[in-house]
Amino acid sequence: MAEFKLPPNSRIDTRAGKTHRASAGAKSVRTFKIYRFDPHAQQRPRVDSYEVDMAGCGPMVLDALLKIKNEIDPTLSLRRSCREGICGSCAMNINGLNTLACTKACDELGRGDINIFPLPHMPVVKDLVTDLTDFYAQYAAVKPWLQTRTPAAPDRERLQSKDDQQRIDRPSACILCACCSTACPSYWWNSERYLGPAALLAAYRWIVDSRDDATGERLDALEDPFRLYRCHTIMNCTEACPKDLNPAKAIGAIKQMLAERQH
Amino acid sequence: MSLRSPLARVSYHGAARDGVGHWWAQRVTASALAPLSAWLLVALLTLPASDYTAVTAWIGAGWNPVLLALTVLLACWHSWLGVQVIIEDYVHSPGRKIAGLLLSMGAHALLAASGIYAVLRIALRSAA
Repeated sequence: MAEFKLPPNSRIDTRAGKTHRASAGAKSVRTFKIYRFDPHAQQRPRVDSYEVDMAGCGPMVLDALLKIKNEIDPTLSLRRSCREGICGSCAMNINGLNTLACTKACDELGRGDINIFPLPHMPVVKDLVTDLTDFYAQYAAVKPWLQTRTPAAPDRERLQSKDDQQRIDRPSACILCACCSTACPSYWWNSERYLGPAALLAAYRWIVDSRDDATGERLDALEDPFRLYRCHTIMNCTEACPKDLNPAKAIGAIKQMLAERQH
Repeated sequence: MSLRSPLARVSYHGAARDGVGHWWAQRVTASALAPLSAWLLVALLTLPASDYTAVTAWIGAGWNPVLLALTVLLACWHSWLGVQVIIEDYVHSPGRKIAGLLLSMGAHALLAASGIYAVLRIALRSAA
């Protein structure tokens, strides 16, 4: 059966969380409750509370996380790189929604505590760092590159009309942060066989690319009860996407193309 | 532990080249069931009397047995497809999954057959 409960050693130990108090002179204190797990410590995960003085902190959740790591607790692990929403490294679950820490302002999250957890239902490497090996393999499985049989003209690029470019414009903007796939209950239950919204959006991007000659083979590779049809149009993917893309619509379009070629 | 590559692991046994029919049937049966269930509900609620004789007479009247048999068949078909998806979603041990799928198939077939038989029996008796 689907595992509705985590294995005992993955359940949060509610008594083990530590609290790091703000200094006495702090002006505007905000509490960050952050999931902590150290694979070497032989302990269950815990949630630590960090009181951060927002007066000396940048506006984004990532700013606060880096302040915590630099000034309060250097043992906190997280991925980050570009800090401007283009690398997809700092994807995490903030107040119950998957998003990028670098583009989510603390002010957007109301006035209460801010809860920060790793991306749901993924193996945790340490703290907020999850293992995305299979997620990247699923991306590779849809062959996200141009496949052609038509030789390119020797003297110019493969041309594309403005309308054709517009079809791949939005789906190409995916940064593979995994917010969508790890927000999808269907992906939680069947991540070994369901490709997930991110990989399917990438597949769609190449299916509708006017320069690609492998449209049929790409559709063949998706025609599967698990790879594609585990999508039950829950639409958490579209809700979660920090780039405002619409994987659910792309998956719907793939299903429509598969239906159209039957009749 | 397996040393298979992640790509081989997520590729599993390849694409089954199936699923379109299931998806299509689910939608077609749903679209047919929407007007049929509305008809059934309205017809039953507007029956002047709801005693045994009145209801069995209504079942046998005109096109009612045909539409009723169709409703039973499509409802069972649609439910079978839906239950199949739920089992495939949540049951991961191969043995239990196959057992569940077969059990659901059998139960839905039995339900459809007995429902249609009941409609025909009432309809043919009142026609005779």
